[in-house]
Amino acid sequence: MSDELKEEAFEQAPPPGEIPSPQQHFASRFSGLTGAIGPLVTVVLAFLISGIAILAIGKDPLKVYRAFWNGTGLNFFYHFGSYSIRIPFGTTHVWFWWDTASISAQNLQQTLLTTTPIILTALALALPFRAGMFNIGGQGQYWVGSIITVWVGESFIGLNGPVHIVLCLVVGTLGGAAWAGLAGILKAKWGVHEVISTIMLNWIAIWTSSWLLGQGGPLQGSQKSIPVSNSIADAAKLPIFWGPKLLQGLSIGIFIAVAMLFVYWLLINRSTLGYEIRAVGFNPDAARYGGMSVARNYFLAMAIAGAFAGLAGAIDILGWRYNLGQLDVQNQAGQIGFIGLAAALLGRNTALGVGAASLLFGALLTGTSGRQLDQSIFRPDLAGDLTTIIQGLVVLFVGLNLGAVAVWWRRKLRRVAA
Amino acid sequence: MAEAPLLELRGITKRFPGVLANDDVSFDLRHGEVHALLGENGAGKSTLMNILYGLYTPDEGAILLNGKEIDVGSTKASIEHGIGMVHQHFMLIPVMTVAENIVLATEPRKAGIALDYTAARKRVRDLSDRYGLAVDPDAKIERITVGQQQRVEILKALYRGAEILILDEPTAVLTPQEARELFEIIRSLQEQGKSIIFISHKLNEVLEIADRITVLRRGKVVDTIPAEGATEPGLAQMMVGREVLLRVDKKPSQAGSPLLQVEDLHVFDDRGLEAVRGLSLEVHAGEIVGLAGVDANGQSELIDAIAGLRAVASGTVRLDGRDVTGDSAREMIDEGLGHIPEDRHRRGLVLPFSLAENLALHAYRKAPESRRGLLQLSTISRRAKRLLQEFDVRGGTPDTPAFALSGGNQQKVVLAREIDADPKVLIAAQPTRGLDVGAIEFVHRRLVEQRDAGRAVFLISLELEEILSLSDRILVIYEGQIVREFPPTASEEEIGLAMTGGGREEAA
Amino acid sequence: MTALTARFERVEWFAPRMIGVYGIVLGALAFWLALPPLVSRSSALPVLLGILAIAAGIWSFSRGEHRVGGGAIVAGILGIALALMALQSSTGHLKTVVVWSALFAAMLRYATPLIFAAIGGLYCERSGVVNIALEGMLLSGAFFGLWAAVWAHGWAGNAAWIVGLVGAALAGMAMAAIHAVWAIHFKVDQVVSGTAINFLALGITGYLFIDKYGDSGTPGDITNYGIPDIHLGFISGIPFFGAIFGQLNLMIWLSFLLVISTWFFVFRTPYGLRLRAVGEHPRAADTVGISVYKVRYIAVIGSGAIAAMGGAYLSLGFVHSFNEGMTQGIGFIGLASVVFGKWRPFPTWGATLLFGFSSALADRLPNAYGNQWGTLFQALPYALTLIAVAGVVGRSIAPAASGRPYVKQ
Repeated sequence: MSDELKEEAFEQAPPPGEIPSPQQHFASRFSGLTGAIGPLVTVVLAFLISGIAILAIGKDPLKVYRAFWNGTGLNFFYHFGSYSIRIPFGTTHVWFWWDTASISAQNLQQTLLTTTPIILTALALALPFRAGMFNIGGQGQYWVGSIITVWVGESFIGLNGPVHIVLCLVVGTLGGAAWAGLAGILKAKWGVHEVISTIMLNWIAIWTSSWLLGQGGPLQGSQKSIPVSNSIADAAKLPIFWGPKLLQGLSIGIFIAVAMLFVYWLLINRSTLGYEIRAVGFNPDAARYGGMSVARNYFLAMAIAGAFAGLAGAIDILGWRYNLGQLDVQNQAGQIGFIGLAAALLGRNTALGVGAASLLFGALLTGTSGRQLDQSIFRPDLAGDLTTIIQGLVVLFVGLNLGAVAVWWRRKLRRVAA
Repeated sequence: MAEAPLLELRGITKRFPGVLANDDVSFDLRHGEVHALLGENGAGKSTLMNILYGLYTPDEGAILLNGKEIDVGSTKASIEHGIGMVHQHFMLIPVMTVAENIVLATEPRKAGIALDYTAARKRVRDLSDRYGLAVDPDAKIERITVGQQQRVEILKALYRGAEILILDEPTAVLTPQEARELFEIIRSLQEQGKSIIFISHKLNEVLEIADRITVLRRGKVVDTIPAEGATEPGLAQMMVGREVLLRVDKKPSQAGSPLLQVEDLHVFDDRGLEAVRGLSLEVHAGEIVGLAGVDANGQSELIDAIAGLRAVASGTVRLDGRDVTGDSAREMIDEGLGHIPEDRHRRGLVLPFSLAENLALHAYRKAPESRRGLLQLSTISRRAKRLLQEFDVRGGTPDTPAFALSGGNQQKVVLAREIDADPKVLIAAQPTRGLDVGAIEFVHRRLVEQRDAGRAVFLISLELEEILSLSDRILVIYEGQIVREFPPTASEEEIGLAMTGGGREEAA
Repeated sequence: MTALTARFERVEWFAPRMIGVYGIVLGALAFWLALPPLVSRSSALPVLLGILAIAAGIWSFSRGEHRVGGGAIVAGILGIALALMALQSSTGHLKTVVVWSALFAAMLRYATPLIFAAIGGLYCERSGVVNIALEGMLLSGAFFGLWAAVWAHGWAGNAAWIVGLVGAALAGMAMAAIHAVWAIHFKVDQVVSGTAINFLALGITGYLFIDKYGDSGTPGDITNYGIPDIHLGFISGIPFFGAIFGQLNLMIWLSFLLVISTWFFVFRTPYGLRLRAVGEHPRAADTVGISVYKVRYIAVIGSGAIAAMGGAYLSLGFVHSFNEGMTQGIGFIGLASVVFGKWRPFPTWGATLLFGFSSALADRLPNAYGNQWGTLFQALPYALTLIAVAGVVGRSIAPAASGRPYVKQ
């Protein structure tokens, strides 16, 4: 049984090319339908395996999955018909194909509400990944953005609505950018591995935010018995365009997030900065030779990523949280930053992929949340952990370079036949 | 005297995806002989030997040792059969010592579990004395010279009881003096009863050291002949299959003003040692200056410094009269410097990028390839189409990723990009490394074209033949300084001598 | 031993580098003077020492020793600042916070899970495989160790902790096996597969925890059959050292053993040599007949077992309970320790002690400064890790083949 070493020596004919590195696999040249096969298989595999796990604990996976599905609101589009609905921001009623006030409509609002920050934190991973970096710090950058937004939101009362909103969004974005930029500088100047630095920054953000919001902390609100901040000014709240305002309707934040998907696509594929980032990610030596500054690109990629994550935090505050509590920050479950990570990898770091994958995870989170899930079928807190398991499975399988596996499989068969 | 061969390879065939590396190759080795395996890059020599050493399995064929068929399915098996190999790229661990590298995987033990360093050292010294290969067992590999490293590799094979030694292009990294020492070592090993397979593409060496020569071409054996009576042109013809022009046809040069001036340059390498020590040179418009020298004498650092990829400790670099010392790579490119890097995979290309994207590696920042920070894809694509045609690049369209092309075509892409930028000074570092003859001829023609168009071409190469055939002036670099200048009519011996410091004795 | 003394002989005691080191020591001393037991209340001495430290740092820096010199300048500034801060607090407060023996004992306790994680990571990294999943392995060990012990309590009584340790090791090995197959055979990006393991560990342990213990928490009697402390009667009489070493958990003593045996294994045995070869230059190792895959598999799975046992200490020997996500990033601090310790056992151990010390301090500081600051101080270990990694990392010191999958056709 011989093991063969790969040699560079045979230059006679077009070499088959090295097995694309993981970077190349993720920042994949595959687009369109062929590119979607891998992620699709991954999702199916992940749900299959967790289905087996559900079976192992004595429940019916199909029933459980259907219970999840019911909560997502994706069945909103089933009930095609003719309804009279109220248009956003107005009181007139018009004719529409779907009932925008039904239960599944409310579920869909929740899903989209959850999808919004996931899109952004996913972009926060995707962009640096193109430059060859792994930004696990999305969660910390999200909190920094949130904290700053809460502070600016509850101060400056009396500011004009749109002005206040824009101000909050901007400072939240800048906060996240600075937090990630710190890790970027550490990498650019001192070669500090961004995984370590961003995780440390995550925890520093969590504990600092906890202190800020805690008993006696500087950002604690006027109600001194609970560790929660003041609510933001009414003027600073993002307009809700779908759903009852008082029952956590969907804000226009979703549009901002989708717009950012487009910005990401434009940046990576059509801008000179994106060209540099991709070059640095594939081959820093060649990038340097081409005149680019690798350090500058590391920093910029991280800063822009942090901006996305910070924006996510800002939108969540202005869109539905309206304040921030110590418990929010310390709650381990459903941490958006890490879900965004899984969504980015699943979406292969492309704009379209990230959008679709974020929707998937948004739906999953909503379907398994306490509000939507039928308790008798599955406990919501358990469902939260199940979601984390599915997350892990997705990342595990999407990390599989299906190309390499196929090649390995073919070689194994060849060896057996030979 | 008919003697049964010690080792026989019969009908070896090996296929890789897309290429037949060895086609029914038969080869035999007699006891105590030095048998050279000659062929160009890509002829299949290394593949054949890797099969013998157990790194690849042949698709067809058999290997016989002393008449009996053996299985060399792994390196372990071939080592047990007494076959040892010294690779072209050394398989040594830089941070470990000589002794550690030699005894690796067969370490002497103390009390069953601890590594007996004293015994290891002693064994290394014994071997070293027995075969006359002087090494310091406690020296770290990263601190000894290349020639010494090669000795360590040979000792590694001998330590494992090798009776048959395969040497893969051993002189590629040696100075002529070290190469001579190597030949003495080979002869001494021969006297001690070892049999040696010597892989090379250098005709003169093969004629000097071998008893018999087997020529491979495109995976097939052309012939096996005794070294006595063989001639260089004869061998060359067997290697390539046609009359080989060993020199490029070119008009005499019309040198103009100096476009590249380097004065008293000092540059440090990655380890903090001075690699370029007070070097000065000039390249004029309309001439090709060739820099000859053994690897690792400061060439890489010199090129990096001129190209703006490495800091200059002191000295000046002038491009067309302008002082550009210390400018960044980007500024150098803007000033009119073209650079064909010595490693096209590491530096010259971003392999996953398309050909169009690679061709735009310098131009992407400015109009018309980009406007206000956004890339103009149609412009980039059009330019790529034009260049691919002009430079006869085969194997892809502008959208093909670079890793799908052959080495020769990849190099053409690099050339296209650099030449199209219309540089005043073109640095060509190892421009034909790893290319087949057709591609080599193409590159040489283009370089001469550039020179005739009034550019200054600075050629750095480890192949003396290439330097002699292309250059209008030849400079020799040794230990970070220019030691001599030669006209292109100089002999290889003279230049080779200068490459070693002009007769200075090398410390062992 | 001769190697060690040879090292000392080679030191130039007044070279710029050593002056920089003296500067760092002076800076630390400046701060220490203001603390118990000396509690110098005048600001003069600490400030003076701090200035000397800064001076030494500048001298060292200007002579080319940028890192050490810079470190001395920072140490000097920090020393003065912290000493002045200590002077603000009352002597009484200081005395409650800085009980050195208690601090050191706590340091050892906090450092132990770090050491296990770090040493596990060291083996893995030395073979050339990056292990981001230390966190997940720690967590798995913590949960499954506790679960196994509780399960075994019925028939093993107070020795149930042994079953716990075995269970933890098995869990860690299972997690590591996934990472190993993914990284070695499928040649996946090792950071991605490591992150996947972390998610899986978090989800699986969280799920099983809520399922089994969710409503009431883990049993309260684990202290009875958790990993025992070792009471050394003859030492506990000795002042200062007695308080530190007299009553330490078994795992802490085992951690010392682990570090020493790791050093011996990696640097003094043939297996360690092969391990290092595989991590530095796998192709060279392959050509002399070493099976790169086999070595890497053993290293990765072994690292899982070791790290998981650290987790078992956390749940069975330290806090005697389990909570979701209780490891809180310790695995990554362990990884940072390996980097900080330049992939060598003893410096890595030093790093874990340093981070353990910061955790111990973070625990006690609220006593002096009031509880609301307690939450902020929790960030101290992470901030310290960040600074340490930023200041010390040298890129070329990692095993050369670290993180790159080995391709065999």
